[in-house]
Amino acid sequence: MKTNRFLWVWLLLTLVLGFGLGLAYTWVISPVEYVDAEPLVLRDDFKDHYRAAIAAAYASTGDLERARARLTLLGDPNPSQVLTAQAQRMLATGESSEVVQQVAMLAAALQGEVGTNLPTEIPTSSPEPIRQSISTSTSTPETSLPTSEIEPTNTPVPLSTATARPTRTSTPTLGAPYQLVGQDTVCDSELAEGLLQIVVINVTRNQIPGAEIVITWSGGEEHIFTGLKPELGNGYADFLMAPDVTYSVRMADGGTPASGITPSTCTASDGNNYLGGQLITFQQP
Amino acid sequence: MSRWLSILIALTLGIALGLGYGWMINPVQYTDITPEALRIDYRTDYVLMVAEAYQAEQDPALAARRLAVFGSEPPAAIAGEAEDFAHQAAYSSDDLVLIQELTVALQTWQPIPGTSMP
Repeated sequence: MKTNRFLWVWLLLTLVLGFGLGLAYTWVISPVEYVDAEPLVLRDDFKDHYRAAIAAAYASTGDLERARARLTLLGDPNPSQVLTAQAQRMLATGESSEVVQQVAMLAAALQGEVGTNLPTEIPTSSPEPIRQSISTSTSTPETSLPTSEIEPTNTPVPLSTATARPTRTSTPTLGAPYQLVGQDTVCDSELAEGLLQIVVINVTRNQIPGAEIVITWSGGEEHIFTGLKPELGNGYADFLMAPDVTYSVRMADGGTPASGITPSTCTASDGNNYLGGQLITFQQP
Repeated sequence: MSRWLSILIALTLGIALGLGYGWMINPVQYTDITPEALRIDYRTDYVLMVAEAYQAEQDPALAARRLAVFGSEPPAAIAGEAEDFAHQAAYSSDDLVLIQELTVALQTWQPIPGTSMP
């Protein structure tokens, strides 16, 4: 009886040992090899490559349905947001503006499909439409206005911009110069102080996403893109100006620059002064 | 003798159970794979994307950089493999033409020494 019990213990231990050996072989020595994987399980940086390729293809073909189907493979819950974030990461890492623009354009195109209630046109160079869109955005947590303070070093802090929902017709024509059609002072205490707002439109006054803007000042230069804040308009971009610094703004594709731009001095209803902003409008003829 | 036989059978059974569990029931999960492991149809679609972009950009170096995510295999070979699959899978003629054009461009393209691939 005792011998039998001893045997069962040995059998059990041997079984466990064999199970462990089998696991070690399958998990460590010869694990399952994935040779037919889906894009969903790609490493994050390769997913960025994949999205960039989708955007590049979209920029060439304009086939949004195909681009959307491809993005679905990556399993992103909100592809346009992911693309916008990727465009900002790419900007930060010094990726070429063409590639960033492609990603931003696709994000904007997807935003357009979502059907936000944002203005797709601005009627005049008046700052009013912009302010209207901004005040609308404050009701949405994700689209809140930037409120970061200007750094004490007088180094302008660029606000992130993004692309928005372009239609094929609002895509900028490469090489066509832009005209400066509006330069207005904006006094709105609800906006960040020294906010430089830029709107880029085409000949039909549709806003143009993905347009590169060059902002220069003494000892510095910054490149930003329209459409990275699609909630404020496809052709919208902004930048925080530092006090006592004079800026020049131009489109990277050429055209009339806006120069001598400084934060304006505004007076609030309580009599206190504060830094106002500027609204610059470029139009592609 | 029968005792050793029992132990051997138990060991074999344990190993079989371990193999079955480790390979089928709960295999190693990969979440951060590289594009080399993509299924051939996804690889081909990626190449098609590159071909679509190449159609507008006409930049074989940029196309080669995009294909470099598949590893050290020559870009022309990657495109050629995709072209073969596209034929087998009866891709549309437009897509086939795009991939063919990319393949030809990469076959004739000479990379500049010293340029890096991602």
